[in-house]
Amino acid sequence: MSTGKHRLKFEKRVTFAGWQAALISGLAIAFALALFSLIFILARINPLTAYQKMLAYAFTNRYGLPLTINRFIFLLLCTYAFIIPFRAGLWNIGMTGQFYMGALSTFAVVFAFGGKASRHADLSPELVIPLMLLAAAVGGAAFGAIAGFLRGRFNVNEIVVTMMLNSIASWLVAQMIKEGGPFMNPGGRSESFELPYAVYPPLIQEIPFTIFLALGITALLSFVLARTRIGYQIRAYGHSPQAAQYAGVSPFKIPFLVFLLGGALAGLAAYHYFAAVPGVYKISRNYGYFGDLAFYGIICGLISLGDPVAAIPVALLFGGLSIGGRFIQGELHMNFGVDYALLGVLMISLVAFQFFFRYKIVWIKTGESAHVGIHH
Amino acid sequence: MWEFIIRSLEASTIFIFAALGELIDQRSGVLNVGVEGVMLFGATLGFIAAQSTHSYWLGFLVGIAIGGLLGLLHGFLSITLGGDQVVNGMGLWILGFGLTTYIGNPYTGPLGMERIPTFLGLSPFFYLGIVLVAVTWFLLSRTSLGLRIRAVGENPAVAEVSGIHVTKTRYLCVTVGGMLMGLAGAIYALDYNPVWNYNFLGGWGFIALALVFFSMWNPVILLGGSLLYGTLWQLSLNPQLLLPGIMSRYLWRMVPFAATIGVLLLMATRWFRLRWGAAKPEALGKPYAKE
Repeated sequence: MSTGKHRLKFEKRVTFAGWQAALISGLAIAFALALFSLIFILARINPLTAYQKMLAYAFTNRYGLPLTINRFIFLLLCTYAFIIPFRAGLWNIGMTGQFYMGALSTFAVVFAFGGKASRHADLSPELVIPLMLLAAAVGGAAFGAIAGFLRGRFNVNEIVVTMMLNSIASWLVAQMIKEGGPFMNPGGRSESFELPYAVYPPLIQEIPFTIFLALGITALLSFVLARTRIGYQIRAYGHSPQAAQYAGVSPFKIPFLVFLLGGALAGLAAYHYFAAVPGVYKISRNYGYFGDLAFYGIICGLISLGDPVAAIPVALLFGGLSIGGRFIQGELHMNFGVDYALLGVLMISLVAFQFFFRYKIVWIKTGESAHVGIHH
Repeated sequence: MWEFIIRSLEASTIFIFAALGELIDQRSGVLNVGVEGVMLFGATLGFIAAQSTHSYWLGFLVGIAIGGLLGLLHGFLSITLGGDQVVNGMGLWILGFGLTTYIGNPYTGPLGMERIPTFLGLSPFFYLGIVLVAVTWFLLSRTSLGLRIRAVGENPAVAEVSGIHVTKTRYLCVTVGGMLMGLAGAIYALDYNPVWNYNFLGGWGFIALALVFFSMWNPVILLGGSLLYGTLWQLSLNPQLLLPGIMSRYLWRMVPFAATIGVLLLMATRWFRLRWGAAKPEALGKPYAKE
């Protein structure tokens, strides 16, 4: 490409600094939001008004902000479910299924303690809540491990497997909570039984305690990925499985482990949404909506380039945008699915911007000398 | 029973079109994991076009056109920009999933048009699908264009040296492949089950992707796989017809997905690989930059 005396050239990046990555990610998000304005314009809504309303509701409104924070905790965990395998070069698009299995495992614990019978069932929170958390993690991990095992042991494509597992888990939830399933609501509704009051977990300023869990995982994950032997092995495997194998990294252990851990975190996201968020305390009828939202974890993970700390602002922003999107959908009488559409536009914008993570644009003066353009 | 066989063949038709599109992509070395997204777009926009113009022709045309455009987009991202093809495909899928949920929502419900007439009791698309399989097989294995496509998928550098335009060939394949995927979506929404509902495909595109792996990149085996999966899918919807009272309907719905994992696993075994060899296009998923 050339204009007058200048020529546009793409140069392969060798390295880039943290601020450059942040800038490109920021631009990708800004580009997506600009593109998304079209949706508002087509709906005859001023995009600036729409964004202002979205952000105001999500981040400053008394009712909106707690929703945003709850969504943020959920997204952060789903993002980590994606990031851990991603750092090993593997694609976990099964956070949805792992999330469902985490949900079923959580409720299985309460069911086993007889919590289905009555909301006033006398369960010991000190015992049951930790068991629920553990079950959520184990359920998600076991389900994630299927994909990791198949990948590590038989080199089966993890994308197709995790997607198939998503559908399987989704029907399993239906089996458990609908049409007389064991977890079905005693009132006959197509949702799970509600948790007994005794196992409502503590809230801190209306915020579930799971926020500490999520932030603790951030710290732990950053440390493990950057500073430990296993973190190094995960990164080495992500860089080149063959080279890692020469360096003594097990080609089975890493895929298995990253899916196990990723699945555990997606499972915890289910504990968070169905057992810790005020006002829910059940596997809701629209569980599929939360399963779909888990896919936001893919985008958060990609935009934050697999960095657990960078994922925090991204998950917070996307949490806010998805809550704000749902809000203005009602407020401005838009079609259902504003938050879904936003998910799609953000994703494709990010994919297009991927290019800039690998190349930089340089303007080269032409005219004086013919060979200036050669920069290798 | 007769009804069941008909419906199975019609379900297979959708797998045939979508998987054939993906197969053409992959033979040229481009992996598009976003089949589901392209199908959702073809289905949703085709549905809207048909309903608003009362013309099936326009509906299918729109489905094919949007599929072709998305194929081009994937081609641009993967061939020209040389990005990670998995990321690009994921982008198409999530774009399709997100955007069609929003766009299609006001059209939720039945199409409300007279059904497409059948031919000898079956949807005409079934016959078209069989013809397309034959044509694709012939084209890929018996013509010079097919040879070029295969060469580009196996070793683009060598193909380039022998005078084949790698970029052009790949663009041709991703566009035609996308058109077939879009058409597959439109067939679903206009013919197989003419009712729009949010995310109604629920995994057909991903199964189509797996079918290409199962086919060992051979259109004739692909046809067999599609027929098998169409039947399995239909069985999972109406198990009471053949095997009443075994499992609940929800458990049945899991069967096609579980079977997919089972087949993938079988194909990954040492026995299978030694017996059937590696048919996978050598350059699949790898971007090619001319030296």
